[in-house]
Amino acid sequence: MSQAAVSVKGLTFTYQGNLVPAISDINLQVEPGELICITGSSGCGKSTLALCLAGFIPHHVAGEMQGSVTINGMDTRSYSPAKLAGRIGLVQQDPEAQLCTLRVVDEVAFGPENLGLDRAEIRERVDWALRMVNSGHLLNREVYSLSGGEKQRIAIASVLAMQPSLIILDEPTANLDPVGAAEVLRVIKKVDQDTSVIVIEHRLKRLLPVADRLVMMEQGRIAAQGEPEEVYRQYSQRQYLFPVQRSPDISGEKSASSVLSARQESDKTRTVLKVRGLGIKLGDKRVLDDISFDLYSGDIAAVMGGNGSGKTSLLLSLLGINKIDQGSIMYHESSLKQEKVSQRARNMGMVFQNPNHQIFENTVWKEAVLPSLMLLGETAWDEAYISRLLLEFDLLPYRQSLPFSLSLGEKKRLTLVSVLGYQPEILLLDEPLIGQDNRRADIFWRSVEQHRQKGGITIMVCHDPDFVQEFCNRILFFDQGKLLLDKPVEEGFLSLEELGFIYYLPGEQLDLQEG
Amino acid sequence: MAVKIQQLFPGLAYMPGETMVHRMHPLPKLLLLIVFSICVFAFSRISAALLLFLLLLLGYACSGLGPGFFVRKLRVILIFGLMMLLVQVISVRQGHLLLELVLLDTVQLQVWTAGLAAGLLMMFRFVNIIASSYLFVSTTDPNKLVYALMQAGLPYRYGFMIITSLRFIPIFNREMAIIRNAQMAKGIDMEGISLPKVLRMTKYLLIPLVICALNKVDYLAISMESRAFGLHPGRTYLFEQIATRKEWGFLALSTGLLLLGGMLLMGLGYPF
Repeated sequence: MSQAAVSVKGLTFTYQGNLVPAISDINLQVEPGELICITGSSGCGKSTLALCLAGFIPHHVAGEMQGSVTINGMDTRSYSPAKLAGRIGLVQQDPEAQLCTLRVVDEVAFGPENLGLDRAEIRERVDWALRMVNSGHLLNREVYSLSGGEKQRIAIASVLAMQPSLIILDEPTANLDPVGAAEVLRVIKKVDQDTSVIVIEHRLKRLLPVADRLVMMEQGRIAAQGEPEEVYRQYSQRQYLFPVQRSPDISGEKSASSVLSARQESDKTRTVLKVRGLGIKLGDKRVLDDISFDLYSGDIAAVMGGNGSGKTSLLLSLLGINKIDQGSIMYHESSLKQEKVSQRARNMGMVFQNPNHQIFENTVWKEAVLPSLMLLGETAWDEAYISRLLLEFDLLPYRQSLPFSLSLGEKKRLTLVSVLGYQPEILLLDEPLIGQDNRRADIFWRSVEQHRQKGGITIMVCHDPDFVQEFCNRILFFDQGKLLLDKPVEEGFLSLEELGFIYYLPGEQLDLQEG
Repeated sequence: MAVKIQQLFPGLAYMPGETMVHRMHPLPKLLLLIVFSICVFAFSRISAALLLFLLLLLGYACSGLGPGFFVRKLRVILIFGLMMLLVQVISVRQGHLLLELVLLDTVQLQVWTAGLAAGLLMMFRFVNIIASSYLFVSTTDPNKLVYALMQAGLPYRYGFMIITSLRFIPIFNREMAIIRNAQMAKGIDMEGISLPKVLRMTKYLLIPLVICALNKVDYLAISMESRAFGLHPGRTYLFEQIATRKEWGFLALSTGLLLLGGMLLMGLGYPF
């Protein structure tokens, strides 16, 4: 009988200063060549488990560990992560931060060089690893010039070059557009033929068909594991806070008739925002060109498109942060040209993609009320309303906690609460669903729907077509700085299909074969 | 508004090229820069400083950057050098009186030989030091330089400290811009200057910036260590960075000529 690639027995870990363990009594065995997907709500202990598997716990993270983790027969207590390096590889969520050199070839060669291999073998491994991730053509590129998907593929190649028997990928597609995510998933499928792979993911739809096993975690424990589709059904049913009428089918997030559905018509008689011929240049580069559209009271518009297509630039232009050099923006028939950002912010609340950029205070409560204080003044803000939002978003228990100690998903919710707190008419949301499990995504959608019912507008950059189909009534699709289409959702998806943007279609089981 | 470092040194970055100067191995090139800099200070004659300046112009021409680049990129430095000259000319009154001017019937300006000599020497030294460093930076791939230094004996931990810094400087610049945008989006007014406002803005800038930096460092440390960084005291390299005999020969010849030329000029009887 062959030795298991990974054997975890009775693993419990409590972070220093915490009373409750982050993970408890984890028992897991991974066979050679197996592809396991681990999922669960945000903060359930998935990333802690990844750090345990890679040996960073107990060597570099303070806390108390019980039980054992054995990689190819090596107990991680006895071997530091550097010593485990040839056996286990870890690919993290942020493709930008995990690349440490300036050129692709140096990045992929970095690990084998550290192992002290001779030049010929390093060269061989570099060529092989780049071939595995379909990136041989990137060999001499500068790292900074790569797209998000390319960076993540290079991160995987740099781990593959170590020829580990197990690769752990911690939310490898979280920061990628659908095209980049499909590229990475295709690579994972290819890698799995030779190596055991553990993928920690929220977005399961495209991963499940290729996974051998799905492990579901809840509150630090393994709640279920087994055949992916069966476990996913259980997962879906447990996850939704408002499970009414959702069909927990394998295409997952595509439920047609949830009561939360926001697919209501907007009030076309009430134009709130009128954008005409909008153009933006950043340096010498034109990032938006001749953009025109109207938004009506009650619109929930999804802004879609690849990385770098101008989505975030649009939100920043509406708020006045990016200075426009062509065209105009009218808000309730008044030009916004002369309004400062702080004046526009009163009516347009923006949530940035990375919440770490938008957290400034030292307690969750202070952070939640900060924009209300800034924009409404000391007397006009609504303390009870913000408290209620914190409760709804599962953040009230952390009221006096340091915001930076929260998980990514919690921080994201906190930034949303701080914006909802002063009730701007327009919500500008940049990838609000990052780090949110389905239950928290539902809470989010309920807030957006309540905002819509009051006549508010939501403009949301979103990479998840299933969510867009379910909750948005408009699609603004951007390609290379141009507004390629502005249509109601169903028509929009049909047009995208005709135009060949297949990665942006809902419910698609993508062909992950090489191609 | 404070002058930014980029305004003082516009375009101070590696400019890829295929000239002889670009292709020269970074290590002998760095040593040549050090020798040149020593000569700048060792030979305190205007003639020596002028000769070094002419050699530098030759270096710029050979590197394909040309005098146009020199004037364009080093405008601020040249102006600063001229100001140094002016200050010396005005303040030093020794030697022989060369020129006397009366400006607007009130200001008397005298130019003395010692003042002019000291000013010219100071100006050329200043320009020579900055411009030679500029030439080195503009024609040397920093990545190749650090890898060459590591292969020449610099402990690789220090080498990668430099490489990761080069990698992350633009990332942090971008992060800072995003944080400023996020401040504005939250209604934190950036306009108008008052002490409480500046303190608040600094706090609101530094907290997220430090947290983002720490996050990135965490990611990076995990990424590097999980690829065996620090496992062995030494490491191997995919690309060998070894200078050729020709390049070492060029360094030796240049050093010899520079020292010889400098000493000859110093030994001549005339004062300049």
